[in-house]
Amino acid sequence: MAEPAAQTAFAEEALTHLDTLYRGALRLTHDPDAAQDLVQEAYLRALRYQHSYQAGTNMKAWLFAIMRNLFWDRFKGSRKDDVSLDDVGEFVLYEKLRDEGARPEADVLDKIAASEVVSAVDKLPPLHREVVLLVDVEGFSYKDAAQTLGVPIGTVMSRLHRARQQLQKSLYDYARESGIVRPNGPTQVAQT
Amino acid sequence: MKCEECSDKLDRYVDRELTNTEALEIQLHLEGCPDCMEHYEFQSHLKRLVKHSCECDTAPKAFREKLRQILS
Ligand SMILES: [Zn+2]
Ligand SMILES: [Zn+2]
Repeated sequence: MAEPAAQTAFAEEALTHLDTLYRGALRLTHDPDAAQDLVQEAYLRALRYQHSYQAGTNMKAWLFAIMRNLFWDRFKGSRKDDVSLDDVGEFVLYEKLRDEGARPEADVLDKIAASEVVSAVDKLPPLHREVVLLVDVEGFSYKDAAQTLGVPIGTVMSRLHRARQQLQKSLYDYARESGIVRPNGPTQVAQT
Repeated sequence: MKCEECSDKLDRYVDRELTNTEALEIQLHLEGCPDCMEHYEFQSHLKRLVKHSCECDTAPKAFREKLRQILS
């Protein structure tokens, strides 16, 4: 058992990463109560296993790994849903919009609400969603993300690539449905 | 560098995952190629948009306090 002072210091440092863990848990569970349960359990486990944390290494990554491993233990069943990420092919939003004659940044990105982006992220299968959370939202390097998820860097890169294609496709569909972009005649180029 | 190679490496450039040499090559290409530059700006804006949109969620204050008590 750690000295009380050391334990408090550890807990204080661990709590500086609470927002990251909570956001991650929220995006994984889609439920604020479940997210709090998951995060609380992760912190209790972290405290119990604090001897296995090497001081000076990435505590945020270590904590996130504990949280997502708990999530996957608990929601094993949902792993099945993850096998199939709709193959959207090579979908590059920028090229698609430009081919359709829109100004990609001014006409589209500036008009998409944050809530739409969050719902596009939520629609990703969880194994792909967590890579986007780590790399895009929390700013993890590919290497740290790989370590956190327990997969090779190549897997991080391929999941990230597919997740981004899917995300861009969702945002494109939203932009079309909401009338942010509309196909405008002569500049539209047929996809082959 | 051709536009195709630039476009292949764009994600890793935006994620700051290229070696210094590779990143410099991309940077030079971008400076001379408005099309790729515009694509680059779009991709980095999209990455920021994802970050800022998801970052809005923070842990509720009461939950933070509860954890602080449990852990101390
Ligand atoms: Zn170019
Ligand atoms: Zn912004």
